[in-house]
Amino acid sequence: MNLLQPFTIPYMQRALVEVLVLGALAGAVGVLVVLRRLAFVGDALTHTVFPGVVIAHLLGRSLLLGALAFGVLTAVLLTTLGGHRRVGDDAALAILLTSFFSVGVVLISRTRGFTADLTVFLFGRVLAVDRADLLQTLAVAAVAAVVLLLLHKELVLRAFDPEATAAMGYRTGALDLVLNLLIALVVVAAVEAVGTVLVIALMVVPAAAARLLADRVAAMTALACLLGAAGGWLGLAVSYEVSVDHGVRLAAGATIVVVLVGLFLLAAALAPLRRRVVTR
Amino acid sequence: MSLLEAFGDGFARRALLEAVMVGGLCGAVGVHVLLRRLPFFTMALGHATFPGVVLAGLVGISLFAGAAAFGAVVVVVVALLGARDRVDDTSAVGVTLSGAFALGVLLLSAQAGFSRDLTAYLVGSIVTVRPGDLVTTAVVGAATLAVLAALHKELVLGAFDRGGLAALGYPVLALDVVLLLVVEATVVTSIPAVGTILAVALVVAPAATARLWTERLRATMALAAALGAASGVVGLAISLQWRVAAGATIVLVAAALFAVSLVVAPRHGLLASLR
Repeated sequence: MNLLQPFTIPYMQRALVEVLVLGALAGAVGVLVVLRRLAFVGDALTHTVFPGVVIAHLLGRSLLLGALAFGVLTAVLLTTLGGHRRVGDDAALAILLTSFFSVGVVLISRTRGFTADLTVFLFGRVLAVDRADLLQTLAVAAVAAVVLLLLHKELVLRAFDPEATAAMGYRTGALDLVLNLLIALVVVAAVEAVGTVLVIALMVVPAAAARLLADRVAAMTALACLLGAAGGWLGLAVSYEVSVDHGVRLAAGATIVVVLVGLFLLAAALAPLRRRVVTR
Repeated sequence: MSLLEAFGDGFARRALLEAVMVGGLCGAVGVHVLLRRLPFFTMALGHATFPGVVLAGLVGISLFAGAAAFGAVVVVVVALLGARDRVDDTSAVGVTLSGAFALGVLLLSAQAGFSRDLTAYLVGSIVTVRPGDLVTTAVVGAATLAVLAALHKELVLGAFDRGGLAALGYPVLALDVVLLLVVEATVVTSIPAVGTILAVALVVAPAATARLWTERLRATMALAAALGAASGVVGLAISLQWRVAAGATIVLVAAALFAVSLVVAPRHGLLASLR
Protein backbone atom coordinates (compact mmCIF):
# COMPACT_ATOMS: atom_id res chain seq x y z
CA MET A 1 0.00 0.00 0.00
CA ASN A 2 1.26 3.46 -0.87
CA LEU A 3 1.06 6.01 1.94
CA LEU A 4 2.01 9.02 -0.18
CA GLN A 5 0.61 8.50 -3.67
CA PRO A 6 -3.10 9.23 -2.84
CA PHE A 7 -2.13 12.64 -1.47
CA THR A 8 -1.07 14.06 -4.83
CA ILE A 9 -4.76 14.83 -5.45
CA PRO A 10 -5.79 18.26 -4.10
CA TYR A 11 -8.91 17.11 -2.21
CA MET A 12 -6.92 14.33 -0.58
CA GLN A 13 -4.24 16.87 0.43
CA ARG A 14 -6.85 19.08 2.11
CA ALA A 15 -8.37 16.06 3.87
CA LEU A 16 -4.90 15.03 5.06
CA VAL A 17 -4.08 18.47 6.50
CA GLU A 18 -7.50 18.54 8.19
CA VAL A 19 -7.09 15.14 9.90
CA LEU A 20 -3.45 15.77 10.85
CA VAL A 21 -4.34 19.06 12.59
CA LEU A 22 -7.46 17.64 14.23
CA GLY A 23 -5.75 14.39 15.18
CA ALA A 24 -2.92 16.20 16.96
CA LEU A 25 -5.21 18.73 18.69
CA ALA A 26 -7.79 16.14 19.75
CA GLY A 27 -4.99 13.90 21.00
CA ALA A 28 -3.61 16.63 23.26
CA VAL A 29 -7.03 17.61 24.66
CA GLY A 30 -8.00 13.92 24.79
CA VAL A 31 -5.31 13.14 27.37
CA LEU A 32 -7.05 15.53 29.78
CA VAL A 33 -10.42 14.03 28.79
CA VAL A 34 -9.21 10.52 29.61
CA LEU A 35 -7.42 11.55 32.83
CA ARG A 36 -10.55 13.33 34.07
CA ARG A 37 -12.88 10.57 32.75
CA LEU A 38 -14.79 13.08 30.67
CA ALA A 39 -15.46 10.89 27.62
CA PHE A 40 -19.19 11.30 28.18
CA VAL A 41 -18.80 15.11 28.24
CA GLY A 42 -17.03 14.91 24.89
CA ASP A 43 -19.78 12.71 23.51
CA ALA A 44 -22.41 15.09 24.88
CA LEU A 45 -20.76 18.12 23.26
CA THR A 46 -20.68 16.46 19.85
CA HIS A 47 -24.48 16.18 20.06
CA THR A 48 -25.33 19.50 21.71
CA VAL A 49 -23.70 21.61 18.96
CA PHE A 50 -26.18 20.05 16.50
CA PRO A 51 -29.04 22.56 17.07
CA GLY A 52 -26.50 25.38 16.58
CA VAL A 53 -25.52 23.93 13.23
CA VAL A 54 -29.18 23.53 12.22
CA ILE A 55 -30.16 27.07 13.25
CA ALA A 56 -27.17 28.55 11.43
CA HIS A 57 -28.08 26.47 8.38
CA LEU A 58 -31.71 27.67 8.47
CA LEU A 59 -30.64 31.31 8.89
CA GLY A 60 -27.97 31.03 6.22
CA ARG A 61 -25.18 31.97 8.64
CA SER A 62 -21.81 30.34 9.21
CA LEU A 63 -22.27 26.82 10.59
CA LEU A 64 -19.11 27.26 12.62
CA LEU A 65 -20.54 30.24 14.51
CA GLY A 66 -23.75 28.33 15.26
CA ALA A 67 -21.81 25.35 16.55
CA LEU A 68 -19.52 27.63 18.55
CA ALA A 69 -22.46 29.40 20.24
CA PHE A 70 -24.05 26.11 21.32
CA GLY A 71 -20.71 24.59 22.27
CA VAL A 72 -20.00 27.48 24.65
CA LEU A 73 -23.57 27.36 26.01
CA THR A 74 -23.21 23.63 26.75
CA ALA A 75 -19.81 24.06 28.36
CA VAL A 76 -21.23 26.72 30.70
CA LEU A 77 -24.36 24.65 31.50
CA LEU A 78 -22.29 21.53 32.20
CA THR A 79 -19.98 23.39 34.53
CA THR A 80 -22.78 25.06 36.49
CA LEU A 81 -25.39 22.25 36.57
CA GLY A 82 -22.93 19.52 37.57
CA GLY A 83 -23.40 19.66 41.32
CA HIS A 84 -27.06 18.76 42.05
CA ARG A 85 -26.87 15.99 44.66
CA ARG A 86 -30.02 14.08 43.68
CA VAL A 87 -29.55 14.14 39.89
CA GLY A 88 -25.94 13.12 39.30
CA ASP A 89 -23.54 14.27 36.61
CA ASP A 90 -24.16 11.50 34.14
CA ALA A 91 -27.95 11.75 34.29
CA ALA A 92 -27.79 15.53 33.78
CA LEU A 93 -25.42 15.02 30.84
CA ALA A 94 -27.63 12.40 29.20
CA ILE A 95 -30.71 14.61 29.45
CA LEU A 96 -28.87 17.73 28.23
CA LEU A 97 -27.32 15.81 25.33
CA THR A 98 -30.52 14.20 24.10
CA SER A 99 -32.75 17.24 24.55
CA PHE A 100 -30.36 19.57 22.68
CA PHE A 101 -30.00 16.99 19.93
CA SER A 102 -33.80 16.66 19.78
CA VAL A 103 -34.18 20.42 19.32
CA GLY A 104 -31.92 20.09 16.29
CA VAL A 105 -33.88 17.12 14.92
CA VAL A 106 -37.24 18.86 15.42
CA LEU A 107 -36.01 22.03 13.68
CA ILE A 108 -34.48 20.16 10.77
CA SER A 109 -37.45 17.82 10.38
CA ARG A 110 -39.42 20.85 9.12
CA THR A 111 -37.07 21.28 6.16
CA ARG A 112 -36.51 19.30 2.98
CA GLY A 113 -33.46 17.13 2.50
CA PHE A 114 -33.65 16.20 6.20
CA THR A 115 -32.03 12.78 5.78
CA ALA A 116 -28.99 13.99 3.84
CA ASP A 117 -28.26 16.82 6.29
CA LEU A 118 -28.43 14.57 9.32
CA THR A 119 -26.15 11.97 7.74
CA VAL A 120 -23.52 14.61 6.93
CA PHE A 121 -23.63 15.93 10.48
CA LEU A 122 -23.13 12.47 11.95
CA PHE A 123 -20.59 11.08 9.52
CA GLY A 124 -18.95 14.17 8.07
CA ARG A 125 -17.58 14.69 4.61
CA VAL A 126 -13.85 14.85 5.11
CA LEU A 127 -13.13 14.41 1.40
CA ALA A 128 -15.22 17.50 0.57
CA VAL A 129 -13.27 19.85 2.86
CA ASP A 130 -12.54 23.09 0.97
CA ARG A 131 -10.02 25.86 1.58
CA ALA A 132 -12.44 27.90 3.74
CA ASP A 133 -13.25 24.88 5.96
CA LEU A 134 -9.56 24.25 6.37
CA LEU A 135 -8.85 27.85 7.40
CA GLN A 136 -11.72 27.77 9.92
CA THR A 137 -10.42 24.54 11.43
CA LEU A 138 -6.91 25.95 11.62
CA ALA A 139 -8.10 29.14 13.32
CA VAL A 140 -10.17 27.32 15.96
CA ALA A 141 -7.40 24.77 16.48
CA ALA A 142 -4.85 27.58 16.97
CA VAL A 143 -7.01 29.20 19.68
CA ALA A 144 -7.46 25.87 21.46
CA ALA A 145 -3.73 25.09 21.22
CA VAL A 146 -2.74 28.45 22.72
CA VAL A 147 -5.16 28.02 25.64
CA LEU A 148 -3.91 24.50 26.19
CA LEU A 149 -0.25 25.61 26.19
CA LEU A 150 -0.91 28.45 28.63
CA LEU A 151 -2.96 26.45 31.15
CA HIS A 152 -1.64 22.92 30.69
CA LYS A 153 0.17 22.76 34.03
CA GLU A 154 -2.89 23.95 35.96
CA LEU A 155 -5.27 21.60 34.09
CA VAL A 156 -3.07 18.58 34.79
CA LEU A 157 -2.78 19.56 38.47
CA ARG A 158 -6.57 19.89 38.65
CA ALA A 159 -6.92 16.41 37.14
CA PHE A 160 -4.77 14.75 39.78
CA ASP A 161 -5.29 16.82 42.90
CA PRO A 162 -8.29 19.17 43.05
CA GLU A 163 -7.73 20.04 46.73
CA ALA A 164 -4.13 21.12 46.19
CA THR A 165 -5.22 23.15 43.17
CA ALA A 166 -7.78 24.99 45.27
CA ALA A 167 -5.32 25.40 48.16
CA MET A 168 -2.77 26.99 45.81
CA GLY A 169 -5.33 29.66 45.00
CA TYR A 170 -6.49 28.46 41.60
CA ARG A 171 -10.21 28.55 40.93
CA THR A 172 -11.09 24.93 40.11
CA GLY A 173 -14.51 25.92 38.76
CA ALA A 174 -12.85 28.24 36.25
CA LEU A 175 -10.38 25.51 35.25
CA ASP A 176 -13.27 23.06 34.72
CA LEU A 177 -14.95 25.63 32.52
CA VAL A 178 -11.72 26.08 30.52
CA LEU A 179 -11.44 22.33 29.93
CA ASN A 180 -15.10 22.03 28.91
CA LEU A 181 -14.58 24.99 26.53
CA LEU A 182 -11.46 23.33 25.09
CA ILE A 183 -13.45 20.15 24.40
CA ALA A 184 -16.13 22.31 22.81
CA LEU A 185 -13.53 24.01 20.59
CA VAL A 186 -12.19 20.68 19.36
CA VAL A 187 -15.73 19.55 18.58
CA VAL A 188 -16.54 22.80 16.79
CA ALA A 189 -13.31 22.75 14.79
CA ALA A 190 -13.95 19.22 13.66
CA VAL A 191 -17.67 18.68 13.43
CA GLU A 192 -18.43 20.22 10.06
CA ALA A 193 -15.60 18.39 8.33
CA VAL A 194 -15.46 15.02 9.97
CA GLY A 195 -18.78 14.44 11.77
CA THR A 196 -19.63 13.78 15.40
CA VAL A 197 -18.69 10.12 15.56
CA LEU A 198 -15.15 10.75 14.35
CA VAL A 199 -14.66 13.66 16.77
CA ILE A 200 -15.33 11.58 19.85
CA ALA A 201 -13.11 8.81 18.49
CA LEU A 202 -10.23 11.25 17.80
CA MET A 203 -10.52 12.58 21.35
CA VAL A 204 -10.82 9.35 23.35
CA VAL A 205 -9.17 6.51 21.43
CA PRO A 206 -5.58 7.85 20.89
CA ALA A 207 -5.45 9.20 24.45
CA ALA A 208 -6.66 5.91 25.93
CA ALA A 209 -4.04 4.07 23.85
CA ALA A 210 -1.30 6.51 24.94
CA ARG A 211 -2.29 5.97 28.58
CA LEU A 212 -1.62 2.26 28.16
CA LEU A 213 1.89 2.89 26.89
CA ALA A 214 3.17 5.95 28.78
CA ASP A 215 3.46 6.87 32.45
CA ARG A 216 4.24 10.60 32.28
CA VAL A 217 1.64 13.12 31.15
CA ALA A 218 4.06 14.81 28.71
CA ALA A 219 4.90 11.48 27.06
CA MET A 220 1.24 10.53 27.02
CA THR A 221 0.32 13.79 25.31
CA ALA A 222 3.05 13.49 22.67
CA LEU A 223 2.07 9.89 21.97
CA ALA A 224 -1.65 10.73 21.77
CA CYS A 225 -0.98 13.56 19.26
CA LEU A 226 1.18 11.21 17.21
CA LEU A 227 -1.34 8.35 17.29
CA GLY A 228 -4.23 10.67 16.40
CA ALA A 229 -2.39 12.13 13.41
CA ALA A 230 -1.03 8.75 12.32
CA GLY A 231 -4.48 7.16 12.54
CA GLY A 232 -5.88 9.96 10.41
CA TRP A 233 -3.19 9.56 7.76
CA LEU A 234 -3.36 5.75 7.69
CA GLY A 235 -7.17 5.76 7.65
CA LEU A 236 -7.32 8.12 4.67
CA ALA A 237 -4.73 6.08 2.78
CA VAL A 238 -6.52 2.77 3.46
CA SER A 239 -9.90 4.20 2.53
CA TYR A 240 -8.48 5.59 -0.76
CA GLU A 241 -6.58 2.43 -1.63
CA VAL A 242 -9.52 0.07 -0.99
CA SER A 243 -12.09 2.35 -2.63
CA VAL A 244 -10.11 3.21 -5.77
CA ASP A 245 -8.03 0.10 -6.37
CA HIS A 246 -10.32 -2.61 -5.06
CA GLY A 247 -13.73 -1.17 -5.80
CA VAL A 248 -15.13 -1.54 -2.26
CA ARG A 249 -16.23 1.88 -1.06
CA LEU A 250 -15.11 2.59 2.49
CA ALA A 251 -16.25 5.85 4.14
CA ALA A 252 -13.11 7.88 4.95
CA GLY A 253 -14.17 9.06 8.42
CA ALA A 254 -15.27 5.62 9.58
CA THR A 255 -12.08 4.03 8.24
CA ILE A 256 -10.03 6.47 10.33
CA VAL A 257 -11.96 5.47 13.46
CA VAL A 258 -11.50 1.77 12.79
CA VAL A 259 -7.74 2.31 12.26
CA LEU A 260 -7.57 4.26 15.54
CA VAL A 261 -9.35 1.44 17.39
CA GLY A 262 -6.89 -0.99 15.77
CA LEU A 263 -4.00 1.10 17.14
CA PHE A 264 -5.68 1.06 20.56
CA LEU A 265 -5.98 -2.74 20.52
CA LEU A 266 -2.32 -2.97 19.48
CA ALA A 267 -1.39 -0.74 22.44
CA ALA A 268 -3.48 -2.94 24.76
CA ALA A 269 -1.63 -6.00 23.49
CA LEU A 270 1.80 -4.35 23.85
CA ALA A 271 1.21 -2.80 27.28
CA PRO A 272 1.93 -5.96 29.35
CA LEU A 273 5.18 -6.58 27.38
CA ARG A 274 6.29 -3.02 27.96
CA ARG A 275 5.61 -3.22 31.67
CA ARG A 276 7.79 -6.32 31.91
CA VAL A 277 10.65 -4.49 30.16
CA VAL A 278 10.29 -1.36 32.30
CA THR A 279 10.17 -3.14 35.64
CA ARG A 280 13.12 -5.38 34.81
CA MET B 1 -55.33 20.50 20.24
CA SER B 2 -57.54 17.50 20.81
CA LEU B 3 -55.73 14.37 21.91
CA LEU B 4 -58.45 12.00 20.70
CA GLU B 5 -58.73 13.63 17.28
CA ALA B 6 -54.99 13.36 16.70
CA PHE B 7 -55.11 9.61 17.38
CA GLY B 8 -58.02 8.88 15.02
CA ASP B 9 -56.13 6.90 12.37
CA GLY B 10 -54.90 3.33 12.56
CA PHE B 11 -51.23 4.27 12.27
CA ALA B 12 -51.62 6.85 15.02
CA ARG B 13 -53.27 4.33 17.33
CA ARG B 14 -50.44 1.88 16.78
CA ALA B 15 -47.94 4.67 17.46
CA LEU B 16 -49.81 5.57 20.64
CA LEU B 17 -49.71 2.00 21.91
CA GLU B 18 -45.98 1.72 21.10
CA ALA B 19 -45.25 5.06 22.84
CA VAL B 20 -47.06 3.99 26.01
CA MET B 21 -45.32 0.61 26.16
CA VAL B 22 -41.83 1.88 25.33
CA GLY B 23 -42.18 4.88 27.67
CA GLY B 24 -43.33 2.71 30.57
CA LEU B 25 -40.62 0.10 30.03
CA CYS B 26 -37.80 2.64 29.69
CA GLY B 27 -38.97 4.55 32.76
CA ALA B 28 -38.95 1.47 34.99
CA VAL B 29 -35.57 0.20 33.74
CA GLY B 30 -34.15 3.73 33.95
CA VAL B 31 -34.27 3.71 37.75
CA HIS B 32 -31.75 0.85 37.80
CA VAL B 33 -29.63 2.63 35.16
CA LEU B 34 -29.40 5.70 37.41
CA LEU B 35 -28.72 3.70 40.59
CA ARG B 36 -25.74 2.06 38.90
CA ARG B 37 -24.57 5.17 37.04
CA LEU B 38 -24.99 3.56 33.64
CA PRO B 39 -26.30 6.42 31.44
CA PHE B 40 -23.11 6.58 29.34
CA PHE B 41 -23.15 2.82 28.93
CA THR B 42 -26.77 3.01 27.79
CA MET B 43 -25.79 5.67 25.27
CA ALA B 44 -22.97 3.46 24.00
CA LEU B 45 -25.31 0.48 23.66
CA GLY B 46 -27.56 2.54 21.43
CA HIS B 47 -24.66 3.40 19.11
CA ALA B 48 -23.06 0.00 19.30
CA THR B 49 -26.07 -1.92 18.05
CA PHE B 50 -25.63 -0.11 14.71
CA PRO B 51 -23.30 -2.60 12.96
CA GLY B 52 -25.68 -5.37 14.05
CA VAL B 53 -28.55 -3.60 12.33
CA VAL B 54 -26.54 -3.06 9.14
CA LEU B 55 -25.43 -6.70 9.07
CA ALA B 56 -28.98 -7.90 9.73
CA GLY B 57 -30.16 -5.72 6.83
CA LEU B 58 -27.49 -7.22 4.55
CA VAL B 59 -28.17 -10.82 5.51
CA GLY B 60 -31.92 -10.29 5.58
CA ILE B 61 -32.69 -11.34 9.16
CA SER B 62 -34.67 -9.38 11.76
CA LEU B 63 -33.10 -6.02 12.66
CA PHE B 64 -33.99 -6.75 16.29
CA ALA B 65 -31.92 -9.93 16.27
CA GLY B 66 -28.93 -8.15 14.72
CA ALA B 67 -29.08 -5.28 17.19
CA ALA B 68 -29.53 -7.59 20.16
CA ALA B 69 -26.60 -9.81 19.12
CA PHE B 70 -24.21 -6.88 18.72
CA GLY B 71 -25.41 -5.30 21.95
CA ALA B 72 -24.48 -8.51 23.77
CA VAL B 73 -21.00 -8.40 22.20
CA VAL B 74 -20.59 -4.81 23.43
CA VAL B 75 -21.62 -5.77 26.97
CA VAL B 76 -18.75 -8.30 27.00
CA VAL B 77 -16.17 -5.96 25.37
CA VAL B 78 -16.86 -3.10 27.81
CA ALA B 79 -16.62 -5.50 30.75
CA LEU B 80 -13.28 -6.90 29.50
CA LEU B 81 -11.72 -3.51 28.65
CA GLY B 82 -12.90 -1.91 31.89
CA ALA B 83 -11.31 -4.74 33.91
CA ARG B 84 -7.80 -3.60 32.84
CA ASP B 85 -6.31 -1.35 35.48
CA ARG B 86 -5.11 1.41 33.12
CA VAL B 87 -8.34 1.71 31.14
CA ASP B 88 -11.11 3.29 33.21
CA ASP B 89 -14.76 2.41 32.55
CA THR B 90 -15.58 5.72 30.88
CA SER B 91 -12.75 5.45 28.38
CA ALA B 92 -13.60 1.79 27.73
CA VAL B 93 -17.16 2.80 26.91
CA GLY B 94 -15.93 5.70 24.73
CA VAL B 95 -13.60 3.49 22.71
CA THR B 96 -16.24 0.78 22.27
CA LEU B 97 -18.92 3.29 21.31
CA SER B 98 -16.96 5.02 18.58
CA GLY B 99 -15.38 1.82 17.29
CA ALA B 100 -18.66 -0.05 16.96
CA PHE B 101 -20.46 2.88 15.39
CA ALA B 102 -17.67 3.41 12.86
CA LEU B 103 -17.80 -0.30 12.00
CA GLY B 104 -21.48 0.15 11.20
CA VAL B 105 -20.79 3.15 8.98
CA LEU B 106 -18.02 1.24 7.23
CA LEU B 107 -20.29 -1.73 6.50
CA LEU B 108 -22.94 0.67 5.32
CA SER B 109 -20.66 2.65 3.02
CA ALA B 110 -19.44 -0.56 1.36
CA GLN B 111 -22.86 -1.09 -0.18
CA ALA B 112 -25.51 1.25 -1.53
CA GLY B 113 -29.25 1.54 -1.02
CA PHE B 114 -29.46 1.32 2.76
CA SER B 115 -29.18 5.00 3.67
CA ARG B 116 -32.89 5.82 3.48
CA ASP B 117 -33.55 3.50 6.43
CA LEU B 118 -30.69 5.00 8.38
CA THR B 119 -32.41 8.15 9.63
CA ALA B 120 -35.37 6.13 10.90
CA TYR B 121 -32.94 3.97 12.80
CA LEU B 122 -31.04 6.92 14.27
CA VAL B 123 -33.90 9.18 15.34
CA GLY B 124 -36.85 6.79 15.29
CA SER B 125 -39.98 6.53 13.22
CA ILE B 126 -42.81 5.69 15.57
CA VAL B 127 -45.62 6.49 13.11
CA THR B 128 -44.46 3.71 10.78
CA VAL B 129 -44.43 1.12 13.57
CA ARG B 130 -45.95 -2.19 12.39
CA PRO B 131 -48.18 -4.65 14.29
CA GLY B 132 -45.22 -7.04 14.46
CA ASP B 133 -43.14 -4.38 16.24
CA LEU B 134 -45.96 -3.90 18.75
CA VAL B 135 -45.96 -7.61 19.56
CA THR B 136 -42.15 -7.60 19.94
CA THR B 137 -42.31 -4.58 22.26
CA ALA B 138 -45.07 -6.19 24.35
CA VAL B 139 -43.26 -9.52 24.69
CA VAL B 140 -39.81 -8.05 25.42
CA GLY B 141 -41.32 -5.47 27.77
CA ALA B 142 -43.27 -8.06 29.74
CA ALA B 143 -40.23 -10.36 30.00
CA THR B 144 -37.98 -7.48 31.08
CA LEU B 145 -40.39 -6.26 33.74
CA ALA B 146 -40.88 -9.82 35.00
CA VAL B 147 -37.09 -10.20 35.43
CA LEU B 148 -36.90 -6.84 37.23
CA ALA B 149 -39.76 -7.81 39.56
CA ALA B 150 -38.38 -11.29 40.29
CA LEU B 151 -34.85 -10.04 41.05
CA HIS B 152 -35.81 -6.67 42.52
CA LYS B 153 -34.34 -7.25 45.97
CA GLU B 154 -31.05 -8.69 44.65
CA LEU B 155 -30.56 -6.02 41.97
CA VAL B 156 -31.18 -3.17 44.40
CA LEU B 157 -28.83 -4.63 46.99
CA GLY B 158 -26.21 -5.05 44.24
CA ALA B 159 -26.54 -1.38 43.30
CA PHE B 160 -26.00 -0.16 46.86
CA ASP B 161 -23.75 -2.78 48.42
CA ARG B 162 -21.93 -5.22 46.16
CA GLY B 163 -19.86 -6.57 49.01
CA GLY B 164 -22.99 -7.35 51.00
CA LEU B 165 -24.53 -9.14 48.04
CA ALA B 166 -21.44 -11.29 47.57
CA ALA B 167 -21.28 -12.03 51.32
CA LEU B 168 -24.88 -13.28 51.21
CA GLY B 169 -23.79 -15.82 48.62
CA TYR B 170 -25.42 -14.35 45.52
CA PRO B 171 -23.60 -14.61 42.15
CA VAL B 172 -22.69 -10.91 41.79
CA LEU B 173 -21.23 -11.12 38.28
CA ALA B 174 -24.22 -13.06 36.93
CA LEU B 175 -26.61 -10.48 38.39
CA ASP B 176 -24.57 -7.65 36.80
CA VAL B 177 -24.79 -9.36 33.43
CA VAL B 178 -28.55 -9.89 33.86
CA LEU B 179 -29.03 -6.19 34.54
CA LEU B 180 -26.88 -5.15 31.56
CA LEU B 181 -28.87 -7.52 29.34
CA VAL B 182 -32.11 -6.00 30.64
CA VAL B 183 -30.81 -2.53 29.70
CA GLU B 184 -29.77 -3.86 26.30
CA ALA B 185 -33.19 -5.42 25.65
CA THR B 186 -34.84 -2.13 26.60
CA VAL B 187 -32.65 -0.04 24.29
CA VAL B 188 -33.11 -2.41 21.35
CA THR B 189 -36.87 -2.44 21.90
CA SER B 190 -37.11 1.37 21.94
CA ILE B 191 -35.19 1.85 18.69
CA PRO B 192 -38.23 1.78 16.34
CA ALA B 193 -39.94 4.43 18.47
CA VAL B 194 -37.26 6.99 19.31
CA GLY B 195 -34.15 5.75 17.52
CA THR B 196 -30.80 4.71 18.87
CA ILE B 197 -29.49 8.14 19.84
CA LEU B 198 -32.58 9.24 21.72
CA ALA B 199 -33.44 5.94 23.43
CA VAL B 200 -31.11 6.90 26.26
CA ALA B 201 -33.26 9.98 26.91
CA LEU B 202 -36.37 7.90 27.53
CA VAL B 203 -34.37 5.67 29.85
CA VAL B 204 -32.73 8.45 31.87
CA ALA B 205 -35.07 11.46 31.91
CA PRO B 206 -38.28 9.94 33.44
CA ALA B 207 -36.22 8.09 36.07
CA ALA B 208 -34.24 11.23 36.98
CA THR B 209 -37.52 13.18 37.18
CA ALA B 210 -39.12 10.56 39.43
CA ARG B 211 -36.10 10.60 41.77
CA LEU B 212 -36.72 14.30 42.39
CA TRP B 213 -40.26 13.63 43.62
CA THR B 214 -40.00 10.50 45.76
CA GLU B 215 -37.50 8.70 47.97
CA ARG B 216 -38.91 5.17 47.92
CA LEU B 217 -37.60 2.91 45.18
CA ARG B 218 -40.79 1.11 44.17
CA ALA B 219 -42.64 4.42 44.04
CA THR B 220 -39.80 5.87 41.94
CA MET B 221 -40.09 3.02 39.44
CA ALA B 222 -43.88 3.32 39.18
CA LEU B 223 -43.66 7.09 38.77
CA ALA B 224 -40.85 6.81 36.20
CA ALA B 225 -42.88 4.32 34.16
CA ALA B 226 -45.92 6.62 34.28
CA LEU B 227 -43.82 9.66 33.31
CA GLY B 228 -42.22 7.73 30.44
CA ALA B 229 -45.60 6.66 29.08
CA ALA B 230 -47.02 10.17 29.50
CA SER B 231 -44.03 11.70 27.67
CA GLY B 232 -44.70 9.26 24.84
CA VAL B 233 -48.38 10.18 24.53
CA VAL B 234 -47.96 13.96 24.82
CA GLY B 235 -44.90 14.05 22.54
CA LEU B 236 -46.68 11.98 19.92
CA ALA B 237 -49.76 14.23 20.02
CA ILE B 238 -47.64 17.36 19.60
CA SER B 239 -45.67 15.85 16.74
CA LEU B 240 -48.83 14.74 14.90
CA GLN B 241 -50.41 18.16 15.41
CA TRP B 242 -47.46 20.24 14.17
CA ARG B 243 -45.79 17.64 11.90
CA VAL B 244 -42.38 17.56 13.54
CA ALA B 245 -40.17 14.53 14.20
CA ALA B 246 -41.99 12.28 16.69
CA GLY B 247 -39.07 10.67 18.51
CA ALA B 248 -37.36 14.00 19.15
CA THR B 249 -40.61 15.58 20.38
CA ILE B 250 -41.17 12.75 22.86
CA VAL B 251 -37.65 13.30 24.18
CA LEU B 252 -38.24 17.04 24.51
CA VAL B 253 -41.43 16.43 26.53
CA ALA B 254 -39.53 14.06 28.85
CA ALA B 255 -36.74 16.63 29.22
CA ALA B 256 -39.24 19.44 29.89
CA LEU B 257 -40.85 17.38 32.68
CA PHE B 258 -37.38 16.96 34.16
CA ALA B 259 -36.53 20.66 33.87
CA VAL B 260 -39.78 21.72 35.56
CA SER B 261 -39.33 19.13 38.31
CA LEU B 262 -35.76 20.25 38.89
CA VAL B 263 -37.14 23.68 39.77
CA VAL B 264 -40.38 22.93 41.63
CA ALA B 265 -39.97 19.45 43.20
CA PRO B 266 -40.92 19.68 46.89
CA ARG B 267 -37.74 18.43 48.59
CA HIS B 268 -35.00 18.26 46.00
CA GLY B 269 -36.00 21.11 43.68
CA LEU B 270 -33.99 24.29 43.25
CA LEU B 271 -36.78 26.44 44.76
CA ALA B 272 -36.91 24.21 47.85
CA SER B 273 -33.15 24.51 48.33
CA LEU B 274 -33.36 28.31 48.16
CA ARG B 275 -35.84 28.43 51.00
